[in-house]
Amino acid sequence: MIFDLALKDLLQMVRDKRSLLFIVAMPIIFTLFMGFAYRGGSQNDAEADHRIPLALVDPQPDSRLSKMLFTRLDSSDSIRIVPMNEDEAMNAFRKGEVAGVLVIPAGFSEQAEAGKAAQLNLIAEASSSEGQSLYQLLRVPISQLMSAVEVARLSADVQSNPDEYIPSVELAWSKWNENSKISLVRVEQAVAKGSESDWTGGNPYNQASPGILVQFAIFGLTTSAQILVQERKTRTLQRLMTTVMRPWEIVAGHLLAMFGLVFLQTVILVVFGQFALGVDYLREPLGTLLVSVALGLWVASMGLLIGVFARTDDQVILYSMVAMFLFSALGGTWFPLEAAGGAFAAIGRAMPSAWAMTGYQDILIRGLGLDSVWLAAGCLLLYALGFFGLAVWRFKELEV
Amino acid sequence: MKAIEVTNLKKSFGAFQAVRDASFMADSGEVLGLLGPNGAGKSTTISMLSGLLMPTGGDASIMGHSVTKDPEAAKKSLGVVPQDVALYPDLSARENLVFWGKMYGLRGAGLSSRVDEVLEIIGLTDRQKDHVGRFSGGMKRRVNIGAALLHKPDVVIMDEPTVGIDPQSRRHILDNVKELNQQGMTVLYTTHYMEEAAELSHHIAIMDKGRVIAYGTHDALIKMIGEQTRIDLTLNAEAEKVLDAWRAIEGVAGIDATDGKVTALVDDSNRVLPRLFDAASKANVRITSVGIQEPNLETVFLHLTGRALRD
Ligand SMILES: Nc1ncnc2c1ncn2[C@@H]1O[C@H](COP(=O)(O)OP(=O)(O)OP(=O)(O)O)[C@@H](O)[C@H]1O
Ligand SMILES: [Mg+2]
Repeated sequence: MIFDLALKDLLQMVRDKRSLLFIVAMPIIFTLFMGFAYRGGSQNDAEADHRIPLALVDPQPDSRLSKMLFTRLDSSDSIRIVPMNEDEAMNAFRKGEVAGVLVIPAGFSEQAEAGKAAQLNLIAEASSSEGQSLYQLLRVPISQLMSAVEVARLSADVQSNPDEYIPSVELAWSKWNENSKISLVRVEQAVAKGSESDWTGGNPYNQASPGILVQFAIFGLTTSAQILVQERKTRTLQRLMTTVMRPWEIVAGHLLAMFGLVFLQTVILVVFGQFALGVDYLREPLGTLLVSVALGLWVASMGLLIGVFARTDDQVILYSMVAMFLFSALGGTWFPLEAAGGAFAAIGRAMPSAWAMTGYQDILIRGLGLDSVWLAAGCLLLYALGFFGLAVWRFKELEV
Repeated sequence: MKAIEVTNLKKSFGAFQAVRDASFMADSGEVLGLLGPNGAGKSTTISMLSGLLMPTGGDASIMGHSVTKDPEAAKKSLGVVPQDVALYPDLSARENLVFWGKMYGLRGAGLSSRVDEVLEIIGLTDRQKDHVGRFSGGMKRRVNIGAALLHKPDVVIMDEPTVGIDPQSRRHILDNVKELNQQGMTVLYTTHYMEEAAELSHHIAIMDKGRVIAYGTHDALIKMIGEQTRIDLTLNAEAEKVLDAWRAIEGVAGIDATDGKVTALVDDSNRVLPRLFDAASKANVRITSVGIQEPNLETVFLHLTGRALRD
């Protein structure tokens, strides 16, 4: 009889054509849309220039050392060199268009090569992270350049042949370049990883598909909770109580119907994600099933809760919307919580919707197995139990 | 064993006593009419009989099963037709009936043929595929009754099943009740139409303000007020001008005025009527119409409460 009651509910839900729109068509459209949005976002990221802009003021760009330094810096993945005169450079620096200004004084090349003390000036905000990075990034090539000059001068001296200087300095510099490339590249990659890592694990739908799935599972409640409100309004609930159905069976029947609806919706979206969008839910089919069942139970018990608290259909829509926005925004279905950070992420992580996302993304992005999914599913089930208890308590208080 | 037995049933909502010490009973196979004006406590009594409300005191039983001690057995023997139509408007008549049959544990072919039977009884076989939401008030009420009959209960309780419907549907429902009763069902029929109670019932319980103020067969109730006759009068002026004078006349057992209509209960209309006219002319009130009615349930109610049944 529980089953018959659930079937009746499902029949009513299917009769409501709007609900089909909400349950199937809208989530699919939204998934595609969000996926495009993320994909667009990450493409822009790749094209954008993340190198630190540095103004280079060099009155003698053709001098040997200037050329050597310029070539080296210009090939860097971390620094973007913008040659300017001193006024332009200071202006750009003040406006924040460049993170620093490197000034090569007139006669620098000659003085250095003559063994006289020569100095480059870096003007940068010492307290900013970009300024710090600039200093670190410049220190190495400049000290290498100076040491190459020293080595070549020594070599020319030792051989007492001033003609040896030029080949020596070029040889030393090229050695430095080869060596430093290895270490420099390593540093640059570390920097790059921080800003450009792909949190979607290569497929933007890995965020969009489960995100929309969780969000619309909650949105689907508008239909299923309305059934319960209608049942109270039309007094059919009261009539049910005069039949041989026990109260717990009535609650269970409605819960089953809501679960059925959410689960069906989840299955459709998982299948769509898997086969149309390449979101690999079936990498760990049992894990996906486990998270989906737990998600369904939580959402269904929330539907029951809304159904016993709301007095009108409008209230059902209002409560469902609030629940959807609250749990979607906080629970990381729109963007990963890692991107938010702070208290927001901390609160969000405790949300049942976040546990559902964690469950799915452990499978999709982090490539974890069934054992890691248990925790997420368990937390969802705890939430389900809590919501269910509250709904049953309220159901008993209902005026009949 | 009585089919329905109600003993000293009480129900309070906070300080308000909706049902006070109600007692009545129905033998197996009879129609018991529960008659009373709005707010008498009829629906509250029925809610206790059908297990929706827990009595504050007393008890009731359906086919020997106490509704407080063994509600599930009592519910099995009982079909309830609620006062408000309680159906799913977005399901068809047949789907509704099938669903309610399942809620009483019916299945399969047995259910299907019983639904056919019930559709025949309520006269909606042609319209079974239509959504109940599109039905007229009378048709809805018929499905509302049908939904209580599927499990062939020993006892059916109907709470004002004819309120606000067309005469044709009303006739259909009254005939249904008689038919079901002839097939052996015990019916508790609640109404505030005394004609319905008179036509259908073997026994009648009259309720007012939470109390059962009279219980018996139709004839016994009428005899209770002796040879009293009801006189209906309309006046060309405020009834208040003459009401006290009339009340003082010997032979006037009760008098009540609502909406310019006066209803008087008198011992001997031949003797009392001239005195009513006398008193009226003394008070400068003209009587514009007079009607004399043989005693009926309305008269009984007036006799017992000093008020008219319909307000
Ligand atoms: N849940 C409740 N809480 C408070 N008072 C109630 C409740 N249910 C009924 N009452 C009151 O109890 C009294 C009897 O109500 P009930 O519905 O039983 O009357 P009724 O005889 O069925 O009247 P009607 O012919 O209008 O259906 C009324 O005064 C009503 O206001
Ligand atoms: Mg009533």
